[in-house]
Amino acid sequence: MKLSIGETLAKFLGARSVRALALGLAAAVAATTLPAATPASAHGERSQQAFLRMRTLNWYDVKWSKTEVNVNEDMELTGKVHVFSGWPQAVAKPEQAFLNVGEPGPVFVRKASFVSGIPTPRTFSLEIGQDYEYKIVLRARRQGRYHVHVQINVKDGGPIVGPGQWISIKGDMANFTNPVTLLDGSTVDLETLGIKWTMTYHFLWMAAAAFWVIYWFMQKGIIARGWQVAAGKANDIITPADKRFGGLWLAGSMLALLIFYAHANNEFPRTLPMQAGLLTGIDPMHEGPVTVISNYGGGSYKVRGRELTIKLKITNNGTEPLKIGEFTTAGLRFLNPDVFTTRPDFPEYLLADRGLSVNDPTPIAPGETKDVVVTVQDARFDIERLSDLAYDTDSQFGGLLFLFSPTGKRVKLEIGGPVIPRFQAGASL
Amino acid sequence: MSITTEAGAPAGKAWKSKEEFLGCVILTDWILLFVLFLVLLGSYHIHYMLLAGDWDFWIDFKDRRMWPTVAPIVAMCFAAAAQSFFWTKFRLPFGATVVTLALLVGEWINRYDNFWGWTFFPISLVFPSALIPMAFWLDVVLLLSGSWLVTALLGSMGWGLLFYPSNWPVLAQYHQAAEVDGVLLTLADLIGFNYVRTGTPEYIRMIERGTLRTFGKDVVPVAAFFSGFVSMLVYFLWWQFGKWFARTDYLANDEI
Repeated sequence: MKLSIGETLAKFLGARSVRALALGLAAAVAATTLPAATPASAHGERSQQAFLRMRTLNWYDVKWSKTEVNVNEDMELTGKVHVFSGWPQAVAKPEQAFLNVGEPGPVFVRKASFVSGIPTPRTFSLEIGQDYEYKIVLRARRQGRYHVHVQINVKDGGPIVGPGQWISIKGDMANFTNPVTLLDGSTVDLETLGIKWTMTYHFLWMAAAAFWVIYWFMQKGIIARGWQVAAGKANDIITPADKRFGGLWLAGSMLALLIFYAHANNEFPRTLPMQAGLLTGIDPMHEGPVTVISNYGGGSYKVRGRELTIKLKITNNGTEPLKIGEFTTAGLRFLNPDVFTTRPDFPEYLLADRGLSVNDPTPIAPGETKDVVVTVQDARFDIERLSDLAYDTDSQFGGLLFLFSPTGKRVKLEIGGPVIPRFQAGASL
Repeated sequence: MSITTEAGAPAGKAWKSKEEFLGCVILTDWILLFVLFLVLLGSYHIHYMLLAGDWDFWIDFKDRRMWPTVAPIVAMCFAAAAQSFFWTKFRLPFGATVVTLALLVGEWINRYDNFWGWTFFPISLVFPSALIPMAFWLDVVLLLSGSWLVTALLGSMGWGLLFYPSNWPVLAQYHQAAEVDGVLLTLADLIGFNYVRTGTPEYIRMIERGTLRTFGKDVVPVAAFFSGFVSMLVYFLWWQFGKWFARTDYLANDEI
């Protein structure tokens, strides 16, 4: 007789030893995996290609008004987004876009959303190269701790996810209400509106359907009817009484439907069709005159060192000296510690507070044109899978560079271009 | 005289008595009904979710033009096939009803457990389309006429025409209007906006898109008639498909 591996082992070691081994193995697996297991929370942003995240929408000044709220309490998610001038050819342009929230189900209800102050419950258009300010008002609905992102969905481009923050919601969803005032002045709770009636209506019809099926089934079952049909007596099965019953059943059903229909029209005499349509002409942010110009002189990415090196020629036509303080891309912020002496309030996993350095730390004086080499280096670049840029079909990076004056004035520069990946250790620009 | 024993059936027979035989048939009938119900539930559910999809999932997709056009047409497939099977093989006039009931049982389990239970979408956002009155119509037309041709013509047209009225008793309440931040929205729009769907942006909705503009606000009857006409064609096709699927093939002994 041929024995299986388990049986052979059991024979060799004895059943007790095999059981002990199996238990030990299970315990070892549990001990090594369970403590390290964390709740699934990501929204797939890391899985999106690096060039897409870097060169479509650049998020900045993102703020969550609260990180701890109670059920029924509002919070705001605000910020700005720059629509990158070098929008990738592979991604559809944001001619149809929708301001969304990345969250695990409707744990927050989106009470309002605005782009440049315009309410945006609908789809809108964005212009390439422009900046927009957005605000989303969220009301806490379900207790728990959730990762909440800002997100803009672009038609045929997919969801482009911004930075996320952990938010704790205290309380109980059972106490959540969502009052809405109708045009006639009455107020309804959208959380529960019509649910009982919807279920009653559906289950009434389903009960009637079950009755109809069981009625016919109980007449002669299935098999006996099959035998009769097979015996050539199909036409004898349905009797005039059956037809009478069927006719009456249909008449009763249609009458019931008519009554339900008339009742709905009577109870809700003023109804409107659903509203839809593209919002165009949303004004971008009005920024001052351009006082700083940059020219990209090439760059490289050291895959092993997680280091992006960028050569820039920057001309300062402003009135104040400027220092390069921050590079932001794909929601990540790389800060120059020479400029940021205190750590800003931003999610830890996206903030590299010592991630940016410049070869020449002296400020760019007014009227001066300077060649600089900016180095962006941090493990987050790799963790957030931006290093995959080296393997993209369009190996171009993109992002925003922020320069700061001694008086605190901030100048924004869009930078981007092709980068050459360097795979070997010690490679230089 | 047959040879019997106290414990067993007569020699050459599988049953001790006629009662036992009938009991066995009835039990098999119930098992058959249960199994068929589950098979129809699973297969129709997949079919309907793939073809009607978002139109059936979300209240803010249920418009006056696309939804009453698409939903009845794709729902007709299994209704026609099930009628073909149950009527041709058993003269049972419940093909459309049993398959539609199976679909709705599956949908409600899905909407309640998955959409509400796991992801907290309110039922008002995710309830399915009502289809039972249409199924009654289709089954009774077949019962009274005894003809699949008449059912294809008359039944299918009624199937398309009855869809919107069957759903309006629930839908009407969600078509009340509200002004939100200066924007006019129906409650259906607002539910879709409030209860965030990360993967379902607003532009996916197809709200009354198309070139049908001559009939003003009365687009539902036109959509319903069109749906009825296409449902006729679908009925013809899927009746035959059901017939083909339910055929009995025998293998000759020498082929085994």
